[in-house]
Amino acid sequence: MKKSVVSLFIFLSFFLFTFSASAQQYITLGIPTSLKLIEGHEGQKAAQLAIEEINAKGGVKVGNEKMLFKLEALDIRDGEPGVPVSEALLGIEKLILDKKIYAAVVGNFRSEALLAAMDIYSKYKVINIGTIAMTPKFQEKILSDKEKYKYSFRGALDSKYASGYVQSSMKFLNKEFGYNKVYIATQDVLWANAIGSLMEKWFKDNGWTVAAFDKYPVGATDFSAGLMKAKSAGVQVIMAIFDMPTSGILVKQWKSMKVPALLTGFISPLTGSKAWKTFGQDIEGVLESVWEIGYFPIKAYPPSVKFSAAYVKRWKEDIQSGHGAAPAYDTVYILANAIEKAGTLDSEKVVKAIEETDMAGVVGRIKFDNGHQLIFGDDPKQTACGGVFQWRKGKMLLVWPESIASDKIQKPAWMK
Amino acid sequence: MFVYGLINSAVLALMALGFNLTFGISGIANFAYGAIYVVAGFITWAFINHLNLPYAVSAILTIIIIGIFGALVYKFIIKRIRGLVISEVIATFGISIILLELLRFIGLIGFKYSLPVFIDGSVEILGVYVDIQRLFIIGLGILVIISLYVFTHHTKTGLAFRGIAQEEHTSLSLGINPDRIASLSMGMGSALGAFAAIVILPLGTITVDSGYDVLINALSVCIVGGLGSTFGVIIASFIIGYTQTITAMYLAPHWTMIVSLFAILVILVIKPSGLLGHQKELEERV
Repeated sequence: MKKSVVSLFIFLSFFLFTFSASAQQYITLGIPTSLKLIEGHEGQKAAQLAIEEINAKGGVKVGNEKMLFKLEALDIRDGEPGVPVSEALLGIEKLILDKKIYAAVVGNFRSEALLAAMDIYSKYKVINIGTIAMTPKFQEKILSDKEKYKYSFRGALDSKYASGYVQSSMKFLNKEFGYNKVYIATQDVLWANAIGSLMEKWFKDNGWTVAAFDKYPVGATDFSAGLMKAKSAGVQVIMAIFDMPTSGILVKQWKSMKVPALLTGFISPLTGSKAWKTFGQDIEGVLESVWEIGYFPIKAYPPSVKFSAAYVKRWKEDIQSGHGAAPAYDTVYILANAIEKAGTLDSEKVVKAIEETDMAGVVGRIKFDNGHQLIFGDDPKQTACGGVFQWRKGKMLLVWPESIASDKIQKPAWMK
Repeated sequence: MFVYGLINSAVLALMALGFNLTFGISGIANFAYGAIYVVAGFITWAFINHLNLPYAVSAILTIIIIGIFGALVYKFIIKRIRGLVISEVIATFGISIILLELLRFIGLIGFKYSLPVFIDGSVEILGVYVDIQRLFIIGLGILVIISLYVFTHHTKTGLAFRGIAQEEHTSLSLGINPDRIASLSMGMGSALGAFAAIVILPLGTITVDSGYDVLINALSVCIVGGLGSTFGVIIASFIIGYTQTITAMYLAPHWTMIVSLFAILVILVIKPSGLLGHQKELEERV
């Protein structure tokens, strides 16, 4: 008798637990990315923050009921050297089939993997809003067959917009200081090479001399040959485009070899506040591009102040990556708004609602173009926005765009 | 270019000496060498940053730990398959993959994983600024080579090393235990790898993938120079080191790794035993 009562109690407890767990309906968002790399890791945390905020308010209204968001992250390692695209694709398929994700955010790290993943998302009709991979071929692929690839969006900037931001600082350097000789160094991957090529053409069209354009393999740890080339050619500017952790070595070597040229572009280890602690005075005067604003507080754009404060409160540290994290936060809200607007989880209707998005995000005003690319400009009240900041005495001073800049570019004291 | 080519050559020589020592004595191609190099970097980093140990103490402790690890790998794994070359390669390469992928799984990726330089700053040599750490690499590389010579020619254990390298069975009849010597050579080779890591890694960051690069570089230097030949290693380091620097300077940086692989192919076609590998004389092998 005693045994039967215990068995009945266990059965009822199990039944009640299972029932209460399944009663709550979730919308599962997947994060297939390189979680060990800072852009992926912080992107996940930013998306998690947005989900917690939305769930705290009761969730997303789908028709007449409210549903909560849930996150499933998977490290597909596509940003790491030597990892084949096929492995990344398997990870995405695993999330779709095993975890039954409704949509994916943050997404692929490498553009090469993103282009291949678009076919998988299309096959399973899974909405995805990527915030890391930057190749302009993304829009080309969407426009090549809009109906097939309509599920893919990019909520961050692409290489074309990025080169536009770099151009703005180069124009200034040319106008104010007369600089006209440059060495270009990029990581040998699609997005970085695209910026390098666009900039090479721009430099040549605008009367600059390009001493050399070198591409370094992912994981490269020695830049001395290129720096020697730059030094012997007498360049005034080194334009570097890298998102790999080892690119910080370029800064070390640039300083130790005393190359008298201003370092500019995008070097991921230099985009966060901790860079000053790591490199100290060595990076005084360096001009660093910010692919999307919002990850550090900009007084002239209050949503960035609110977001960075919320992030620090939740994760007890500030964001270090100048790309991917702030837009990852926005993409969760883009999805939530689109689902509420569509009033259903039907992918076709939600895609339509995302296409019509017009909202204020932490990266600026959010609107997509015909190729499902977030539109960027130089005023966050009108479009999404990137920028350029200069390291001065341990501070990241935003020097471009003028609409939100707090300072102007200054020639570093050590430059002749 | 002359200065940086010289430094690159010294880096390659230092990387390859440990691998070469183990092979020269015991005939074991330690394919876990690159992984051991990376692990040594991370252990030193952990000692400095988590246990707050002084740099020198961290470095010495790391070299000892890695040396013991190498000897244990021989005792518990290699000893059982000794003489089966393919099995040795598979076993050591397996260890390499386990170590490196474990480090990757733990998530040791980022610029913060770097070792401090011995002395900060740079000096001008022949019109080129060179950081002092690179000069340490050249100096310590020379010191290691001299120390190895003294050890193998003027110590009892070193003479036993040479005995085993020359003729294992005869050495056995003279009371030299080949397993003990092979275990010591694995330990010393690994410790040399750790030493190379501590000296070279302050130039950049500690990355998991550099384990594979170090293995390829060490392998190419040893194959080109002649497996087991210390003098061959030095010559090959200069050939490959300067070729890499010239390639990066006049062709493109992403072709540099191909130089090492191409050098292996060329030497295997032209002279499979390596530049000095044919002599196999006692001094040459250690």
